[in-house]
Amino acid sequence: MTKIYVVDNGGQWTHREWRTLKYLNIDTKIIPNTIIIDELLKENIDGLVLSGGSPRIGLEGSLGNCSEILDKSEIPIMGICAGHQFIARHYGGKVEPSKVPEFGKVELTINKNDEILKKINNKSIVWESHNDEVTKIPNNFINLAKSENCKIQIIKHNDKHIYGFQFHPEVEHTEFGMQFFKNFIKICESN
Amino acid sequence: MFNPNKFIEETVKKIKNEIKEETLIAFSGGVDSTVCAALVNKAIGNNLIAVNVDTGYMRKNEPQEIKNLMKKMKLNYRFIEASETFYKSLKGILDPEEKRKIIGETFIRIFENVAKEENIKYLVQGTIAPDWIESGDDFRDTIKSHHNVGGLPKDMNLKLVEPLRDLYKDEVRKVARSLNLIVSEKQPFPGPGLAIRIIGEATEDRTRIVREACDIVEKEIEEAARKKYMELPWQYFAVLLPTKSVGVQGDQRAYGFVIAIRAVQSIDAMTCEFSKIPSNVIEKISNKITNNLGNEINTVVYDITNKPPGTVEWE
Repeated sequence: MTKIYVVDNGGQWTHREWRTLKYLNIDTKIIPNTIIIDELLKENIDGLVLSGGSPRIGLEGSLGNCSEILDKSEIPIMGICAGHQFIARHYGGKVEPSKVPEFGKVELTINKNDEILKKINNKSIVWESHNDEVTKIPNNFINLAKSENCKIQIIKHNDKHIYGFQFHPEVEHTEFGMQFFKNFIKICESN
Repeated sequence: MFNPNKFIEETVKKIKNEIKEETLIAFSGGVDSTVCAALVNKAIGNNLIAVNVDTGYMRKNEPQEIKNLMKKMKLNYRFIEASETFYKSLKGILDPEEKRKIIGETFIRIFENVAKEENIKYLVQGTIAPDWIESGDDFRDTIKSHHNVGGLPKDMNLKLVEPLRDLYKDEVRKVARSLNLIVSEKQPFPGPGLAIRIIGEATEDRTRIVREACDIVEKEIEEAARKKYMELPWQYFAVLLPTKSVGVQGDQRAYGFVIAIRAVQSIDAMTCEFSKIPSNVIEKISNKITNNLGNEINTVVYDITNKPPGTVEWE
Protein backbone atom coordinates (compact mmCIF):
# COMPACT_ATOMS: atom_id res chain seq x y z
CA MET A 1 0.00 0.00 0.00
CA THR A 2 1.34 3.41 -0.97
CA LYS A 3 2.10 5.56 2.04
CA ILE A 4 1.55 9.31 1.86
CA TYR A 5 1.39 11.40 5.03
CA VAL A 6 -0.12 14.83 5.59
CA VAL A 7 2.04 17.35 7.43
CA ASP A 8 -0.35 19.50 9.45
CA ASN A 9 0.39 23.21 9.30
CA GLY A 10 -2.90 24.08 11.01
CA GLY A 11 -5.14 24.38 7.95
CA GLN A 12 -8.93 24.17 7.95
CA TRP A 13 -8.73 21.46 5.30
CA THR A 14 -5.79 19.35 6.54
CA HIS A 15 -8.24 16.63 7.54
CA ARG A 16 -9.86 16.80 4.10
CA GLU A 17 -6.44 16.00 2.56
CA TRP A 18 -6.27 12.97 4.84
CA ARG A 19 -9.80 11.97 3.81
CA THR A 20 -9.05 12.33 0.09
CA LEU A 21 -5.95 10.13 0.37
CA LYS A 22 -7.89 7.58 2.40
CA TYR A 23 -10.64 7.46 -0.21
CA LEU A 24 -7.93 6.73 -2.77
CA ASN A 25 -6.78 3.73 -0.69
CA ILE A 26 -3.58 5.35 0.49
CA ASP A 27 -2.00 4.46 3.82
CA THR A 28 -2.15 7.91 5.40
CA LYS A 29 -1.82 9.76 8.67
CA ILE A 30 -1.83 13.37 9.81
CA ILE A 31 1.46 14.33 11.44
CA PRO A 32 2.37 17.61 13.18
CA ASN A 33 4.84 19.85 11.35
CA THR A 34 7.10 19.66 14.41
CA ILE A 35 7.91 16.04 13.59
CA ILE A 36 11.59 15.11 13.60
CA ILE A 37 12.56 14.44 10.01
CA ASP A 38 14.77 11.42 10.74
CA GLU A 39 11.89 9.69 12.49
CA LEU A 40 9.63 10.48 9.58
CA LEU A 41 12.07 9.02 7.05
CA LYS A 42 12.25 5.78 9.02
CA GLU A 43 8.60 5.14 8.17
CA ASN A 44 9.36 4.57 4.47
CA ILE A 45 6.79 6.95 3.15
CA ASP A 46 6.25 7.43 -0.57
CA GLY A 47 5.13 11.04 -0.51
CA LEU A 48 4.12 14.01 1.63
CA VAL A 49 1.46 16.67 1.52
CA LEU A 50 2.28 19.97 3.25
CA SER A 51 -1.08 21.36 4.33
CA GLY A 52 -2.26 24.94 4.39
CA GLY A 53 -2.20 26.90 7.60
CA SER A 54 -3.75 29.73 9.51
CA PRO A 55 -3.59 33.23 8.05
CA ARG A 56 -0.27 34.74 7.01
CA ILE A 57 1.86 31.76 7.97
CA GLY A 58 2.94 31.50 4.34
CA LEU A 59 4.25 35.04 4.45
CA GLU A 60 6.67 34.62 7.32
CA GLY A 61 7.46 32.11 10.02
CA SER A 62 9.07 28.73 9.80
CA LEU A 63 6.15 26.30 9.42
CA GLY A 64 7.65 23.90 11.96
CA ASN A 65 10.20 21.56 10.43
CA CYS A 66 8.97 21.94 6.86
CA SER A 67 12.31 23.44 5.82
CA GLU A 68 14.18 20.39 6.98
CA ILE A 69 11.60 18.13 5.40
CA LEU A 70 12.17 19.81 2.03
CA ASP A 71 15.96 19.67 2.40
CA LYS A 72 16.33 16.14 3.61
CA SER A 73 13.63 14.03 1.98
CA GLU A 74 13.82 12.82 -1.57
CA ILE A 75 10.22 11.74 -1.95
CA PRO A 76 7.55 13.66 -3.91
CA ILE A 77 6.05 16.56 -1.98
CA MET A 78 2.87 18.51 -2.65
CA GLY A 79 2.38 21.81 -0.84
CA ILE A 80 -1.09 23.32 -0.59
CA CYS A 81 -1.84 27.03 0.00
CA ALA A 82 0.48 28.06 2.88
CA GLY A 83 2.44 24.86 2.17
CA HIS A 84 2.84 25.98 -1.46
CA GLN A 85 3.84 29.50 -0.40
CA PHE A 86 6.38 28.05 2.00
CA ILE A 87 7.94 25.91 -0.75
CA ALA A 88 8.28 29.02 -2.91
CA ARG A 89 9.96 30.96 -0.09
CA HIS A 90 12.20 28.07 0.87
CA TYR A 91 13.65 27.85 -2.63
CA GLY A 92 14.19 31.59 -2.97
CA GLY A 93 10.91 32.83 -4.42
CA LYS A 94 8.79 35.62 -3.02
CA VAL A 95 5.42 35.64 -1.23
CA GLU A 96 3.45 38.86 -0.76
CA PRO A 97 -0.05 39.89 0.27
CA SER A 98 -2.40 39.44 -2.69
CA LYS A 99 -3.61 42.60 -4.40
CA VAL A 100 -6.93 40.80 -4.79
CA PRO A 101 -7.25 37.84 -2.40
CA GLU A 102 -9.28 34.86 -3.58
CA PHE A 103 -11.96 33.13 -1.50
CA GLY A 104 -14.25 30.45 -2.87
CA LYS A 105 -14.96 29.71 -6.51
CA VAL A 106 -12.28 30.63 -9.09
CA GLU A 107 -11.55 29.58 -12.67
CA LEU A 108 -8.17 27.93 -13.13
CA THR A 109 -6.37 28.04 -16.49
CA ILE A 110 -3.59 25.59 -17.19
CA ASN A 111 -0.56 26.99 -19.07
CA LYS A 112 1.57 23.90 -19.62
CA ASN A 113 1.36 20.12 -19.79
CA ASP A 114 2.61 18.05 -16.91
CA GLU A 115 2.01 14.67 -15.32
CA ILE A 116 0.36 16.39 -12.32
CA LEU A 117 -2.27 17.78 -14.73
CA LYS A 118 -3.26 14.56 -16.50
CA LYS A 119 -6.99 14.24 -17.27
CA ILE A 120 -7.65 17.77 -16.08
CA ASN A 121 -9.39 20.26 -18.38
CA ASN A 122 -7.52 23.38 -19.45
CA LYS A 123 -10.14 25.46 -17.71
CA SER A 124 -11.77 24.22 -14.53
CA ILE A 125 -13.33 25.39 -11.27
CA VAL A 126 -11.16 25.36 -8.17
CA TRP A 127 -11.78 26.74 -4.68
CA GLU A 128 -9.40 29.11 -2.99
CA SER A 129 -8.90 30.72 0.38
CA HIS A 130 -5.83 32.93 0.59
CA ASN A 131 -4.73 36.42 1.54
CA ASP A 132 -1.16 36.04 0.23
CA GLU A 133 0.35 34.57 -2.89
CA VAL A 134 3.62 33.68 -4.60
CA THR A 135 4.71 36.73 -6.58
CA LYS A 136 8.09 35.46 -7.75
CA ILE A 137 8.76 31.83 -8.67
CA PRO A 138 12.03 30.43 -7.32
CA ASN A 139 14.81 29.59 -9.75
CA ASN A 140 14.51 26.06 -11.00
CA PHE A 141 10.70 26.10 -10.71
CA ILE A 142 8.06 26.61 -13.41
CA ASN A 143 4.49 27.87 -13.19
CA LEU A 144 1.83 25.55 -14.61
CA ALA A 145 -1.45 27.41 -14.05
CA LYS A 146 -3.06 30.76 -13.31
CA SER A 147 -6.34 32.45 -12.42
CA GLU A 148 -7.66 35.91 -13.19
CA ASN A 149 -6.30 37.48 -10.00
CA CYS A 150 -3.41 35.19 -9.15
CA LYS A 151 -0.88 34.38 -11.84
CA ILE A 152 0.98 31.64 -9.95
CA GLN A 153 -1.37 28.79 -9.07
CA ILE A 154 0.68 25.61 -9.52
CA ILE A 155 4.47 25.51 -9.31
CA LYS A 156 6.77 22.61 -10.06
CA HIS A 157 10.45 21.98 -9.37
CA ASN A 158 12.40 21.29 -12.57
CA ASP A 159 14.35 18.32 -11.24
CA LYS A 160 12.56 17.10 -8.13
CA HIS A 161 8.98 15.96 -7.62
CA ILE A 162 8.04 19.04 -5.62
CA TYR A 163 4.75 20.76 -6.38
CA GLY A 164 2.91 23.74 -4.94
CA PHE A 165 -0.82 24.42 -5.29
CA GLN A 166 -2.26 27.79 -4.34
CA PHE A 167 -5.86 26.52 -4.57
CA HIS A 168 -7.33 23.60 -2.64
CA PRO A 169 -7.62 20.32 -4.57
CA GLU A 170 -8.80 18.59 -1.37
CA VAL A 171 -12.17 20.32 -1.08
CA GLU A 172 -15.35 18.88 -2.49
CA HIS A 173 -16.13 21.92 -4.66
CA THR A 174 -12.86 21.79 -6.64
CA GLU A 175 -13.92 20.21 -9.91
CA PHE A 176 -10.92 17.92 -10.55
CA GLY A 177 -9.81 17.76 -6.91
CA MET A 178 -9.57 13.97 -6.72
CA GLN A 179 -7.76 13.84 -10.07
CA PHE A 180 -4.95 16.13 -8.84
CA PHE A 181 -4.44 13.71 -5.95
CA LYS A 182 -4.58 10.67 -8.26
CA ASN A 183 -1.88 12.25 -10.42
CA PHE A 184 0.26 13.01 -7.37
CA ILE A 185 -0.17 9.45 -6.11
CA LYS A 186 0.96 8.13 -9.49
CA ILE A 187 4.07 10.30 -9.27
CA CYS A 188 4.76 8.96 -5.78
CA GLU A 189 4.29 5.39 -6.91
CA SER A 190 6.61 5.67 -9.89
CA ASN A 191 9.30 7.59 -8.02
CA MET B 1 -14.28 5.05 -0.36
CA PHE B 2 -16.04 5.15 2.98
CA ASN B 3 -17.59 1.87 4.07
CA PRO B 4 -20.38 2.49 6.63
CA ASN B 5 -20.80 -1.16 7.61
CA LYS B 6 -17.12 -1.55 8.32
CA PHE B 7 -17.22 1.66 10.33
CA ILE B 8 -20.19 0.42 12.38
CA GLU B 9 -18.52 -2.88 13.09
CA GLU B 10 -15.20 -1.34 14.15
CA THR B 11 -16.79 1.43 16.21
CA VAL B 12 -19.14 -0.83 18.15
CA LYS B 13 -16.17 -3.06 18.97
CA LYS B 14 -14.10 -0.08 20.11
CA ILE B 15 -16.90 1.31 22.30
CA LYS B 16 -17.38 -2.11 23.92
CA ASN B 17 -13.73 -2.01 24.93
CA GLU B 18 -13.73 1.61 26.01
CA ILE B 19 -16.95 1.81 28.04
CA LYS B 20 -17.98 -0.87 30.51
CA GLU B 21 -20.39 1.11 32.65
CA GLU B 22 -23.32 3.52 32.54
CA THR B 23 -22.81 6.44 30.17
CA LEU B 24 -24.57 9.63 29.16
CA ILE B 25 -25.04 10.84 25.63
CA ALA B 26 -25.79 14.43 24.71
CA PHE B 27 -28.75 13.82 22.43
CA SER B 28 -30.13 16.53 20.14
CA GLY B 29 -32.08 14.37 17.72
CA GLY B 30 -29.88 15.45 14.81
CA VAL B 31 -28.06 13.02 12.53
CA ASP B 32 -24.77 13.02 14.45
CA SER B 33 -26.01 12.40 17.97
CA THR B 34 -28.68 9.96 16.80
CA VAL B 35 -26.11 7.87 14.92
CA CYS B 36 -23.87 8.04 17.95
CA ALA B 37 -26.67 6.93 20.27
CA ALA B 38 -27.53 4.02 17.99
CA LEU B 39 -23.90 2.87 17.88
CA VAL B 40 -23.31 3.17 21.62
CA ASN B 41 -26.66 1.52 22.28
CA LYS B 42 -25.54 -1.40 20.10
CA ALA B 43 -22.39 -1.64 22.18
CA ILE B 44 -23.65 -1.19 25.74
CA GLY B 45 -27.46 -1.39 25.51
CA ASN B 46 -29.42 0.05 28.37
CA ASN B 47 -26.31 1.30 30.07
CA LEU B 48 -26.69 4.32 27.82
CA ILE B 49 -28.77 7.24 29.05
CA ALA B 50 -29.71 9.81 26.42
CA VAL B 51 -30.07 13.36 27.73
CA ASN B 52 -31.94 15.91 25.70
CA VAL B 53 -31.98 19.53 26.74
CA ASP B 54 -34.63 21.99 25.63
CA THR B 55 -32.56 25.17 25.49
CA GLY B 56 -35.46 27.41 24.51
CA TYR B 57 -33.64 27.98 21.23
CA MET B 58 -35.23 25.04 19.47
CA ARG B 59 -37.26 25.17 16.27
CA LYS B 60 -41.03 24.84 16.15
CA ASN B 61 -42.30 21.58 17.70
CA GLU B 62 -38.75 20.30 17.99
CA PRO B 63 -38.74 19.27 21.70
CA GLN B 64 -41.78 17.06 21.14
CA GLU B 65 -40.32 15.53 17.99
CA ILE B 66 -37.10 14.66 19.81
CA LYS B 67 -39.04 13.03 22.64
CA ASN B 68 -40.91 10.93 20.09
CA LEU B 69 -37.64 9.95 18.44
CA MET B 70 -36.06 8.88 21.74
CA LYS B 71 -39.13 6.78 22.49
CA LYS B 72 -39.13 5.28 19.02
CA MET B 73 -35.47 4.33 19.35
CA LYS B 74 -36.27 2.77 22.74
CA LEU B 75 -33.58 4.86 24.38
CA ASN B 76 -33.30 5.15 28.11
CA TYR B 77 -33.72 8.95 28.21
CA ARG B 78 -33.98 12.09 30.31
CA PHE B 79 -35.60 15.24 28.98
CA ILE B 80 -34.54 18.48 30.60
CA GLU B 81 -36.43 21.72 30.15
CA ALA B 82 -33.88 24.49 30.64
CA SER B 83 -35.15 27.44 28.56
CA GLU B 84 -35.09 29.89 31.46
CA THR B 85 -31.51 28.97 32.37
CA PHE B 86 -30.34 29.53 28.82
CA TYR B 87 -32.27 32.78 28.26
CA LYS B 88 -30.92 34.12 31.52
CA SER B 89 -27.32 33.13 30.80
CA LEU B 90 -27.40 34.92 27.44
CA LYS B 91 -28.97 38.11 28.74
CA GLY B 92 -27.01 41.12 27.50
CA ILE B 93 -24.50 38.95 25.59
CA LEU B 94 -23.81 40.20 22.06
CA ASP B 95 -20.56 38.58 20.97
CA PRO B 96 -21.04 35.34 18.99
CA GLU B 97 -18.03 33.58 20.53
CA GLU B 98 -19.16 34.51 24.03
CA LYS B 99 -22.64 33.23 23.22
CA ARG B 100 -21.30 29.92 21.95
CA LYS B 101 -19.05 29.44 24.98
CA ILE B 102 -21.82 30.23 27.48
CA ILE B 103 -24.13 27.78 25.72
CA GLY B 104 -21.43 25.09 25.71
CA GLU B 105 -20.78 25.53 29.40
CA THR B 106 -24.49 25.61 30.30
CA PHE B 107 -24.98 22.32 28.45
CA ILE B 108 -22.06 20.70 30.29
CA ARG B 109 -23.24 21.84 33.73
CA ILE B 110 -26.61 20.24 33.02
CA PHE B 111 -24.97 17.00 31.90
CA GLU B 112 -22.73 17.06 34.97
CA ASN B 113 -25.79 17.32 37.21
CA VAL B 114 -27.43 14.34 35.58
CA ALA B 115 -24.14 12.42 35.74
CA LYS B 116 -23.79 13.18 39.44
CA GLU B 117 -27.31 11.95 40.18
CA GLU B 118 -26.66 8.75 38.27
CA ASN B 119 -23.04 8.37 39.32
CA ILE B 120 -21.75 8.44 35.75
CA LYS B 121 -18.30 9.35 34.45
CA TYR B 122 -18.61 9.24 30.68
CA LEU B 123 -20.23 11.62 28.23
CA VAL B 124 -20.70 10.55 24.61
CA GLN B 125 -20.95 13.35 22.07
CA GLY B 126 -21.70 13.27 18.35
CA THR B 127 -18.74 15.51 17.55
CA ILE B 128 -17.74 15.33 13.88
CA ALA B 129 -14.65 16.60 12.04
CA PRO B 130 -15.78 20.17 11.21
CA ASP B 131 -16.67 20.75 14.91
CA TRP B 132 -13.11 20.35 16.17
CA ILE B 133 -11.48 21.72 13.04
CA GLU B 134 -13.40 25.00 13.20
CA SER B 135 -13.14 25.24 16.98
CA GLY B 136 -9.37 25.56 16.54
CA ASP B 137 -6.58 24.84 19.02
CA ASP B 138 -3.03 26.00 19.72
CA PHE B 139 -2.29 25.32 16.11
CA ARG B 140 -5.43 25.98 14.11
CA ASP B 141 -7.26 29.29 13.97
CA THR B 142 -10.66 29.41 15.67
CA ILE B 143 -13.33 30.04 13.06
CA LYS B 144 -16.15 29.47 15.53
CA SER B 145 -16.24 27.60 18.83
CA HIS B 146 -18.58 24.69 18.35
CA HIS B 147 -20.47 24.28 21.61
CA ASN B 148 -19.39 20.64 21.97
CA VAL B 149 -15.67 21.37 21.51
CA GLY B 150 -14.51 24.97 21.83
CA GLY B 151 -17.45 25.72 24.13
CA LEU B 152 -16.53 23.07 26.72
CA PRO B 153 -15.48 24.46 30.10
CA LYS B 154 -11.89 23.65 31.11
CA ASP B 155 -12.92 22.24 34.47
CA MET B 156 -15.47 19.70 33.27
CA ASN B 157 -15.71 16.45 35.21
CA LEU B 158 -16.85 14.11 32.49
CA LYS B 159 -14.71 11.93 30.30
CA LEU B 160 -15.56 12.45 26.64
CA VAL B 161 -16.17 9.70 24.11
CA GLU B 162 -16.54 10.90 20.53
CA PRO B 163 -16.87 8.01 18.08
CA LEU B 164 -17.57 10.19 15.00
CA ARG B 165 -14.62 12.61 15.32
CA ASP B 166 -13.09 11.68 11.97
CA LEU B 167 -16.30 11.70 9.96
CA TYR B 168 -17.98 14.42 7.94
CA LYS B 169 -21.74 14.78 7.61
CA ASP B 170 -21.98 12.88 4.31
CA GLU B 171 -20.29 9.92 5.95
CA VAL B 172 -22.47 10.14 9.07
CA ARG B 173 -25.51 10.06 6.80
CA LYS B 174 -24.20 6.89 5.16
CA VAL B 175 -23.89 5.30 8.59
CA ALA B 176 -27.41 6.53 9.47
CA ARG B 177 -28.84 4.97 6.30
CA SER B 178 -27.06 1.75 7.05
CA LEU B 179 -28.61 1.75 10.54
CA ASN B 180 -32.04 2.60 9.06
CA LEU B 181 -32.38 5.73 11.15
CA ILE B 182 -35.24 8.03 10.13
CA VAL B 183 -33.10 11.11 10.75
CA SER B 184 -30.57 10.19 8.05
CA GLU B 185 -31.55 13.04 5.69
CA LYS B 186 -32.40 15.67 8.30
CA GLN B 187 -30.79 19.06 7.69
CA PRO B 188 -28.07 20.10 10.16
CA PHE B 189 -29.05 22.33 13.06
CA PRO B 190 -26.38 23.91 15.25
CA GLY B 191 -26.19 22.94 18.92
CA PRO B 192 -26.55 26.55 20.10
CA GLY B 193 -29.77 26.55 18.10
CA LEU B 194 -31.65 29.72 17.25
CA ALA B 195 -29.42 31.69 19.63
CA ILE B 196 -26.85 32.00 16.85
CA ARG B 197 -29.51 32.79 14.25
CA ILE B 198 -30.19 36.01 16.11
CA ILE B 199 -27.37 38.46 15.56
CA GLY B 200 -26.60 40.14 18.87
CA GLU B 201 -28.66 39.53 21.99
CA ALA B 202 -30.75 36.36 21.75
CA THR B 203 -33.80 37.46 23.73
CA GLU B 204 -36.87 35.29 24.11
CA ASP B 205 -38.89 37.70 22.01
CA ARG B 206 -36.40 37.68 19.12
CA THR B 207 -36.27 33.89 19.38
CA ARG B 208 -40.01 33.75 18.78
CA ILE B 209 -39.58 35.85 15.60
CA VAL B 210 -36.68 33.87 14.16
CA ARG B 211 -38.39 30.57 15.04
CA GLU B 212 -41.42 31.60 12.99
CA ALA B 213 -39.22 32.79 10.10
CA CYS B 214 -37.18 29.55 10.14
CA ASP B 215 -40.39 27.56 10.06
CA ILE B 216 -41.60 29.46 6.99
CA VAL B 217 -38.27 29.03 5.17
CA GLU B 218 -38.20 25.30 5.95
CA LYS B 219 -41.78 24.64 4.87
CA GLU B 220 -41.62 26.66 1.65
CA ILE B 221 -38.28 25.26 0.54
CA GLU B 222 -39.30 21.70 1.31
CA GLU B 223 -42.49 22.19 -0.67
CA ALA B 224 -40.58 23.69 -3.60
CA ALA B 225 -38.16 20.75 -3.53
CA ARG B 226 -41.06 18.28 -3.46
CA LYS B 227 -42.55 19.99 -6.51
CA LYS B 228 -39.13 19.79 -8.20
CA TYR B 229 -38.77 23.55 -8.51
CA MET B 230 -35.36 23.23 -6.92
CA GLU B 231 -32.96 20.81 -5.30
CA LEU B 232 -33.35 20.49 -1.53
CA PRO B 233 -30.45 22.50 -0.08
CA TRP B 234 -27.99 21.12 2.47
CA GLN B 235 -29.19 23.66 5.02
CA TYR B 236 -31.86 26.38 4.83
CA PHE B 237 -33.01 28.82 7.48
CA ALA B 238 -33.61 32.41 8.53
CA VAL B 239 -31.38 34.80 10.47
CA LEU B 240 -32.68 37.76 12.45
CA LEU B 241 -30.67 40.95 12.04
CA PRO B 242 -31.28 43.50 14.77
CA THR B 243 -31.10 46.30 12.21
CA LYS B 244 -34.22 48.29 11.65
CA SER B 245 -35.65 49.45 8.38
CA VAL B 246 -38.64 51.60 7.52
CA GLY B 247 -41.60 50.03 5.81
CA VAL B 248 -45.18 50.85 4.96
CA GLN B 249 -47.78 48.33 6.02
CA GLY B 250 -51.53 49.05 5.71
CA ASP B 251 -50.94 52.77 5.05
CA GLN B 252 -48.94 52.95 8.26
CA ARG B 253 -45.30 53.45 8.88
CA ALA B 254 -43.59 50.30 10.12
CA TYR B 255 -40.13 50.11 11.65
CA GLY B 256 -39.02 46.52 12.13
CA PHE B 257 -36.10 44.12 12.00
CA VAL B 258 -34.54 42.46 8.96
CA ILE B 259 -34.65 38.73 8.18
CA ALA B 260 -31.92 37.17 6.06
CA ILE B 261 -32.64 33.92 4.27
CA ARG B 262 -29.71 31.51 4.00
CA ALA B 263 -29.67 28.31 1.95
CA VAL B 264 -26.53 26.47 0.89
CA GLN B 265 -25.42 23.37 -0.99
CA SER B 266 -22.63 21.30 0.46
CA ILE B 267 -21.32 17.79 0.97
CA ASP B 268 -19.32 18.20 4.15
CA ALA B 269 -19.94 21.78 5.39
CA MET B 270 -16.27 22.64 4.77
CA THR B 271 -17.07 24.39 1.49
CA CYS B 272 -20.54 25.58 0.51
CA GLU B 273 -22.23 27.26 -2.42
CA PHE B 274 -25.32 29.38 -1.85
CA SER B 275 -28.46 27.75 -3.28
CA LYS B 276 -30.01 29.28 -6.35
CA ILE B 277 -33.58 29.47 -5.07
CA PRO B 278 -36.02 30.23 -7.94
CA SER B 279 -37.43 33.75 -7.69
CA ASN B 280 -41.05 32.64 -7.34
CA VAL B 281 -40.11 30.51 -4.35
CA ILE B 282 -38.08 33.22 -2.67
CA GLU B 283 -40.87 35.73 -3.30
CA LYS B 284 -43.36 33.46 -1.57
CA ILE B 285 -41.03 33.09 1.41
CA SER B 286 -40.57 36.86 1.60
CA ASN B 287 -44.33 37.52 1.48
CA LYS B 288 -45.07 34.93 4.12
CA ILE B 289 -42.45 36.24 6.50
CA THR B 290 -43.52 39.88 6.24
CA ASN B 291 -47.23 39.02 6.39
CA ASN B 292 -47.03 36.56 9.27
CA LEU B 293 -44.68 38.64 11.34
CA GLY B 294 -46.50 41.93 10.73
CA ASN B 295 -44.68 45.05 11.83
CA GLU B 296 -41.89 43.07 13.47
CA ILE B 297 -40.24 42.39 10.11
CA ASN B 298 -40.50 44.55 7.05
CA THR B 299 -37.37 43.67 5.11
CA VAL B 300 -36.25 40.28 3.86
CA VAL B 301 -32.87 39.77 2.17
CA TYR B 302 -31.17 36.74 0.64
CA ASP B 303 -27.59 35.80 1.51
CA ILE B 304 -25.60 35.05 -1.65
CA THR B 305 -22.22 34.27 -0.05
CA ASN B 306 -20.29 31.03 -0.54
CA LYS B 307 -18.11 29.39 2.11
CA PRO B 308 -15.37 30.52 2.04
CA PRO B 309 -15.44 33.47 2.53
CA GLY B 310 -18.70 33.13 4.52
CA THR B 311 -19.70 30.30 6.84
CA VAL B 312 -23.07 28.54 6.94
CA GLU B 313 -24.50 30.06 10.12
CA TRP B 314 -23.89 33.80 10.51
CA GLU B 315 -22.42 33.43 13.97
